[in-house]
Amino acid sequence: MSSGVVFDIKEMAIYDGPGLRTTVFLKGCPLRCMWCHNPEGLSYQPQLMVATSNCVHCGKCMESCPRQGKDCVSCGTCIRHCPQGIRKICGKVWEASDLEGRLLKDADYLKRNGGGVTFSGGEPTGQPEFLIEMLDRTASMHRAVETCGFCREEIFRAVLERVDYVMMDIKMVDREKHKRYTGVSNEKILRNLELLKAGNVPFRIRIPVIPGVNDDDENFERTAQLLKNAENLEMVELLPYHVTAGAKYEMVNREYHPDFDESRQPRLNLEIFQSYGIPCSHL
Amino acid sequence: MKTDFINELLDYFVVQKKHHSYRMPAEGEYELAKQFALQGDNDMQRSVKRLRYVLEKEQPVVLEKERITLLRTVRTIPRIHTEEEDKALHEKHAFHENGAVFNMCPDYAMLMEDGFRVKREKIRRQMELAETEKQKEFLQAMLEVMDIVEEFAERYRQEALRVGNLSVAETLAWVPANKPRTLLEALQFLRLIHYSMWCNGNYHNTLGRIDQFLYPYYQHDMQEGILDKDSALEFLEEFFISCNRDSDLYIGIQQGDNGQTIVLGGSNVDGSDAYNDLSELCLLASRDLCLIDPKVNLRVHKNTSMGVYELATTLTKKGLGFPQYTNDEIIIPSLLRCGYDPEDACNYTLAACWEILVVGYMDLVNWDSMNYLRAVQEAVEQLEACDSYDAFAGLVHQNIDRQAEELMALTKNVYKEPSPLVSLMCPDCLEKMRDISEPGKYNTYGFHGDGLSSAADSMAAIKKYVFEEKTFSASHMIEMLKNDFKDYPTEQNMLRYEAPKMGNDDDYVDQIAVKLLDWYADALEGKRNDRGGCFRAGTASAMYYIWHSKDAPASADGRNAGEALACNYSPSLFARCEGPISILKSFSKPNLVRVANGGPLTIELTDTMFKNEEAIRKCAMFVKSYMDLGGHQLQINAVNRDRMLDAQKHPENYRNMIVRVWGWSGYFVELNEVYQNHIIKRAEMAL
Repeated sequence: MSSGVVFDIKEMAIYDGPGLRTTVFLKGCPLRCMWCHNPEGLSYQPQLMVATSNCVHCGKCMESCPRQGKDCVSCGTCIRHCPQGIRKICGKVWEASDLEGRLLKDADYLKRNGGGVTFSGGEPTGQPEFLIEMLDRTASMHRAVETCGFCREEIFRAVLERVDYVMMDIKMVDREKHKRYTGVSNEKILRNLELLKAGNVPFRIRIPVIPGVNDDDENFERTAQLLKNAENLEMVELLPYHVTAGAKYEMVNREYHPDFDESRQPRLNLEIFQSYGIPCSHL
Repeated sequence: MKTDFINELLDYFVVQKKHHSYRMPAEGEYELAKQFALQGDNDMQRSVKRLRYVLEKEQPVVLEKERITLLRTVRTIPRIHTEEEDKALHEKHAFHENGAVFNMCPDYAMLMEDGFRVKREKIRRQMELAETEKQKEFLQAMLEVMDIVEEFAERYRQEALRVGNLSVAETLAWVPANKPRTLLEALQFLRLIHYSMWCNGNYHNTLGRIDQFLYPYYQHDMQEGILDKDSALEFLEEFFISCNRDSDLYIGIQQGDNGQTIVLGGSNVDGSDAYNDLSELCLLASRDLCLIDPKVNLRVHKNTSMGVYELATTLTKKGLGFPQYTNDEIIIPSLLRCGYDPEDACNYTLAACWEILVVGYMDLVNWDSMNYLRAVQEAVEQLEACDSYDAFAGLVHQNIDRQAEELMALTKNVYKEPSPLVSLMCPDCLEKMRDISEPGKYNTYGFHGDGLSSAADSMAAIKKYVFEEKTFSASHMIEMLKNDFKDYPTEQNMLRYEAPKMGNDDDYVDQIAVKLLDWYADALEGKRNDRGGCFRAGTASAMYYIWHSKDAPASADGRNAGEALACNYSPSLFARCEGPISILKSFSKPNLVRVANGGPLTIELTDTMFKNEEAIRKCAMFVKSYMDLGGHQLQINAVNRDRMLDAQKHPENYRNMIVRVWGWSGYFVELNEVYQNHIIKRAEMAL
């Protein structure tokens, strides 16, 4: 039996697949998207997270810290000393059987409401063994994954064999730009997209639309080209960049440095996709 | 989409509030009562005279284009007793708020069906059967009240003619003397009666199931081609706006707490769906207008369609805090258990907030509140003497019994002001020749129950940490609570954030809550009050979540002394719940049919949950799922904490921002800070 690190379990996830769903966020991601709004999902390890906006700076955490506030090892000593209750260890190690119990508890409810379980991240394929085991253990439920598609082909195939629905990001088609803004080349992603298109699992493609990065017609056009005639493609969904993206960086002691103009409204050109006969909407 | 006419009305009454210029100065509340006292008038005479005084003083104001008229120009509704008399009455009697008949649902339809003319004939016929002076006086008072209201309406008709508003003049030439012929006449009739009730000191009365009793008029107009859906919608919107004209003069704990609710949908006696075209138009009108009045209640049942839930959710998305949902599948059986007739049970409505009412009878459904947390805290004082958790829980049980006894004892010998006006709308007042303030058919007393989640959480913490894991001794626990955790911050943190909390679908604590509610229901079951009715337990907090928490000491769930309790039937304010589904499951475990006086599970969802149609549909599924799980009432709010914080800083930018308080929606910027802060706290916990 494997275990995995999960940084959140969200009930009644509305935007993570059909019906009412519970979404499991697996910790750790191979990408470093400049606009990432879930920085607590980047590292594969449990880590201290502080809701800094509610901090009253009483200093109790420092007083209790065995390392005098330096080089945090996420030991969690300070958590109980915070009178505001705003500190937590983000990322819990779950045994697969325990997580199975947690998810199956609501299986009937979710089924009655047209939903099931979604594995998201971070990047769920970043913990492949755990993900596959969890998909097997929740086989009685409707299963979906939300993925960036960046993983080895055999892992992607194994996932496809086990899920009822896929939500996959195609952030941008240009390889160089992709590398610059996400830290990785999109080669693997585009290859896995072909697997997805050739398979029989219904899927939705999502594009985080970042102002000045990928909201040009050329990128939309090239994405639409890739997706045209994909039989199981349900729709393309544009996720407009939101200025609150940087909100959680301070909470995990990271810095947020977007090099694009955050204040500019992202261009949401639905028509390009629609002109290819691909249903398209935005959140 | 609102028509230009509706936008004009909104601008006039809601934005500019131009009608306030017609208001007369406020008067002393007790001046009129002094005259009554000098003349030696009895209560019935005073009630009639007060209505005459107020309605004669009213100066009719008819706007040029309005179709539904009436405007309050008199600010003060005088009391019928002097301060001394009032004091003397309080010494002799128990009081339910100020003693007036309030928070009930008169049978408006019954009076409309007759019109004043036929009603008068019926009363005169009954007069021949009257034996006692009291009976004769009561019947005479009802006749006089009708004269007063009719004379008042006639003055409005004259004014309408004077300003050239022929529509209003024509309507008032027919109603209230006769049964309305059209939807417009029925709405004007209802407005006149509801207005008169406020002027008669009868406050917080729901408008009831308007989609049911106005439906025949609507159907008539549609069949005759007088109205189409659009024009019917415009009439409803004009009527809804009329509910906001005078609302700043209505009494309540906070601005907005005025009991003007409507109840839509529901099931008929044969189980069929009562939701109709008019129900839908009411929802659309409310969504178009985005006003705090009337507050919308939606009765749902197993045959309520998803489409209805979806439409209702589009109102929630607007941030109105309603509709509030009530489940017939729980409420009707609960009323039958209490001995209500099936016809009355199926025709139930909701009171000012969420209390269950039957139409036409006075139940005192918001008498007082049992404080679960106090029951637990009194038991904690004897914790050292308890050798087991069960012994401790037994003490809590005893304390609940004792509080219930105290609550019931305080209902003895209640004083109620007579109201011949409301009596016109009670099915058995005429036949039995007794005023609505006298004991009637049911006479139920309803009690709320506040602090349930804090109480269950506190008991769970004691069970786990004192008796099972022995982390703290009994004396240590008592010491920490007495110390208000000042010297025990880490212990408090653990109790507050790591202990089991109701709302996580965790039987460890949820089953304690099930017991607490059962004990409360047991304590009241089978008991009778001195009016012959039963006692009903509820799951509401009303304002007691603030009142009862102010002086409450620290509790074993890690709550500090004075810290607020959860509003209504909800997780504690600092419980970190796994999510909305766990909350629904936790809060559907209790035997709700036994505690169905009213009190909704209240859930805050962030407004990002309502982004598109698909999301609306899912939120609607979520609401329905609580009913499927056996939930009784649900209040669901779309909130945005940042907007509320900004509204505290810049109230001028948020004059129209609406929030749900406890059983009603109000304008955020008009609330006292303590209520604002509580709502912000709730929003911090939003899912």
